[in-house]
Amino acid sequence: MWRPCGTFDETYQKDMAIVRTPLRWAVLLGALLVTGLLPVVVPYYFVSFLNNLAITVILVMGLQIVSGYCGQISFGQAAYMAVGAYSAAIFTQKLGLSFWVALPLSGIFTGLFGLVGGAPSLRIKGFYLAVATIAVHFVTMWLILHLEVTGRSHGLAVEPPTLAGFVFDTDERMFYIIMPTMLLMTYGARNLVRTKVGRAFVAIRDNDLAAQVMGINLFYYKLLAFFISCFYAGVAGCLWAHLTLVAHFEQFTLLHALWYIGMLIVGGMGSIPGVFFGVILIRILDELVMVVSPVLAAWFPWLGSAPAAGLGVTAFGLVLAFFLIWEPRGLAHRWEILKASLRLYPFAH
Amino acid sequence: MEGFLQLLMLGLMEGGLYAIVAAAMVLVFKSTHVVSLAHGQIMGFGALAFWIGLVQLKLPLVVALLGALGFSGAMGWFIERAAMRPLIGQPLFASFLNTFAVFLVLDGIFQLILKGESYSFSAYLPKGNISWGGFTLAITQLVSFLGSLLVFLGLALFYRWTKLGLGMRATAEDHQLAQSTGISVRGVFSAIWVLSSATATFAGLALANVTDIYYTLPYMGIKGLVVALVGGLESLPGALLAGLLLGVLENVSAGYLDPLVGGGIKEVAAYVLLLFVLLVKPYGLFGLVRIERI
Repeated sequence: MWRPCGTFDETYQKDMAIVRTPLRWAVLLGALLVTGLLPVVVPYYFVSFLNNLAITVILVMGLQIVSGYCGQISFGQAAYMAVGAYSAAIFTQKLGLSFWVALPLSGIFTGLFGLVGGAPSLRIKGFYLAVATIAVHFVTMWLILHLEVTGRSHGLAVEPPTLAGFVFDTDERMFYIIMPTMLLMTYGARNLVRTKVGRAFVAIRDNDLAAQVMGINLFYYKLLAFFISCFYAGVAGCLWAHLTLVAHFEQFTLLHALWYIGMLIVGGMGSIPGVFFGVILIRILDELVMVVSPVLAAWFPWLGSAPAAGLGVTAFGLVLAFFLIWEPRGLAHRWEILKASLRLYPFAH
Repeated sequence: MEGFLQLLMLGLMEGGLYAIVAAAMVLVFKSTHVVSLAHGQIMGFGALAFWIGLVQLKLPLVVALLGALGFSGAMGWFIERAAMRPLIGQPLFASFLNTFAVFLVLDGIFQLILKGESYSFSAYLPKGNISWGGFTLAITQLVSFLGSLLVFLGLALFYRWTKLGLGMRATAEDHQLAQSTGISVRGVFSAIWVLSSATATFAGLALANVTDIYYTLPYMGIKGLVVALVGGLESLPGALLAGLLLGVLENVSAGYLDPLVGGGIKEVAAYVLLLFVLLVKPYGLFGLVRIERI
């Protein structure tokens, strides 16, 4: 960790602090201020992009905890997000709860649901678990499509949240709910992974039998990982439903779940900053494809009139294969290398 | 009772197809210990190549078939060379995720080629029905089913009687031992990808015959994966049995439960079966139980 020469940790609190020097506090507060002013300054398109980005970060953060730290690969994250979105819609629209109550409540509900989905992880692992979570995805989405309470194929309409008469009905206004939630949940994840629980997760990831021998209760910790991950997914789903004002099953397909896993790989498994790198890189790639594909379609008519979907998926797959083969530790690894070389700047080693 | 038997027959016909897709994945897993998601796409491309040969270029049936098999075999070879071989020695999970990257790349290309249209094969098989003793079966399904049984027979003979098949079985036992007896393990890996891709193409042809070529065709690969897991990833007979079981289960449950819950049981029956089987027998019905050491 970079710090100026002559700064020493004299107490335990100082040693454990995330923000270590006054300069870093200044940078952090400055960055928060700039972020807070963004919706006023930048155009609408960029704000909605940022909202999308922040919700995806929350979701992938949950995936990072269960897959990156605890080693239980889950392809069910999109389905859990759907559960979060639908439960939020039911809490606020059918039960008449306030958004501020529904936000944590839909997280907890999704977490409990995730315990059911995570139950196979107690018996199986690796590929078997990955395919079992695909099965969980399909069963969940099927239930959503066929239950009366979820509005079947119509989905559920959602009203924007209000606070003391103020209605959060535009992207700029929702930004002030989504961004603080994202920061809070990032802070939570950052701290979680360096507690006893986080260390137990890492031990399970590295070798679950060895972890069990060391006295880690696999049953408890694997389910806890699924609970926390699904809590994140539920909160992301709740925000998503209140941003798009609808909870609809087409927003949560298996392809979405694959994208989230891909973001995790590109960013780097087992790293909190990695989540940001992965999400941002893949989202930018996505936007880039949106911009480039009409141009390509004009140059190469055989691509058809709307090649964006196909090109996007292909580009994403290529990036993923590139990272798996040449940079399996993801962008987070590059980031660590960059930080180390900056710290030693005038010297090579 | 009549209705039940009808559903049973229909299930067996469809199950044969699932079994072939699963067989392709079992072939890959047995020798390379990698579960491949990519075969769903290879299946789709093989069917597409066959369609182009048969319908667009108007080639004879046998030539188009050989062309499609050759094309998908080449595709399998290329995927092994470009995507799987660099990851030998890395954690197996990386290889699994890489097949999923390959799946996405091919998925995009498949969508670009299809452009949202669907192609049907009405040219080479009549789409009528056969009635016999109270049953009604579509001819296309019957042909697909018999074809898939033939493929299974061929695979069994290949594994039993050819030298390459012997090499594959040896590689499945242990890579290092196989290498030390003079078998080129890399050569076997290449061969297995070619063989499994050709097998998947058979399934693709049979499936496309029943459902037309549409952008959802490759996703049948996921169902094949489910079948392979239910049967046990190391077991070809397991793939056949699980495929037939799943086909029957899907059709029978759809026939009896759909009126009660309002349809759609067929889409979800496979996954419920998988979750159930994995909870009871984590390595599938006929899979090898692995004993782990620290």
